[in-house]
Amino acid sequence: MKDLMRIKCLLSQDIETLLNQQIKKEAHSSSLYLSMASWCNQNGYDFSADYFTKQSEEERMHQLKLFKYVLDMGGNAVSPEVTGIKTEFLGFREVFEDALEAEIAITQSFKNIAAKCHKEQDFVTMEFLNWFLKEQREEEYKARRALELFEVIGEEGTGRWEIDKHVNKITYSED
Amino acid sequence: MEKACIDINELVNVFSNNYGSVYQSDKLNCFYIDFGGKFARYNCLSLQKLKKVVEDIDIESLLLNTKKADFELVTYNGCDHIYLLNALEIIALKDLLQGTFTMFKLNHLISDCLYRLVF
Repeated sequence: MKDLMRIKCLLSQDIETLLNQQIKKEAHSSSLYLSMASWCNQNGYDFSADYFTKQSEEERMHQLKLFKYVLDMGGNAVSPEVTGIKTEFLGFREVFEDALEAEIAITQSFKNIAAKCHKEQDFVTMEFLNWFLKEQREEEYKARRALELFEVIGEEGTGRWEIDKHVNKITYSED
Repeated sequence: MEKACIDINELVNVFSNNYGSVYQSDKLNCFYIDFGGKFARYNCLSLQKLKKVVEDIDIESLLLNTKKADFELVTYNGCDHIYLLNALEIIALKDLLQGTFTMFKLNHLISDCLYRLVF
């Protein structure tokens, strides 16, 4: 009997489901960052608004990268429905706290997929995931560094104005 | 109708239960589900979709909800076939499809061991 399912698709159903869930999470993150950009812009934090707009584009790019992989491997990539995006934040600091929390959740999600790949010995997908795992180093660093600015600079006086100016300059270097 | 056009000897029985069977055609790279009085053809993707649709049915609410009919229409967008099934038949179809996909996994493992990993 021909192994028709394997001929059609490299991915197991479980891995395909997890990757589709990840596509949805990336889409959610992208929308959340856009919502944060909107809030920052409306409250006068223009540099942070630009920072979150860029982050939103990056998350969208991650989503499309996963989408392409699922399709290239013969799977069924599902365009996700994104609902329940938070639009109101209590303050400037909360926006960055939520951003870091979102990145931590994404890292955890990739770790779960990687664990499943190891269990199924799907080293092809594992190799693909390595790019994302490395990317999460940068994403978490930037989110954590932005939050650190609140401690280093302080929010009093013109503190928030200073923080806003510095957020857009955060970069990550492996060296 | 479709059954009459197919040479049953060319089909491989993938899995059967008391209510139906799933066959695979290696010649046409497709599957046939013999269930609920229908003999219907599916490709890989449509078979996966059907399994998902059946697994997503909340059988408990179907049985407990007195305002709803005890039957459920089982189909999906773009599907050529529709099943009108009661709760017991849904359970049987679910069992049939889950058994089928377990056999696919087993066949995959055997294919790996016998043909792909021996060289």
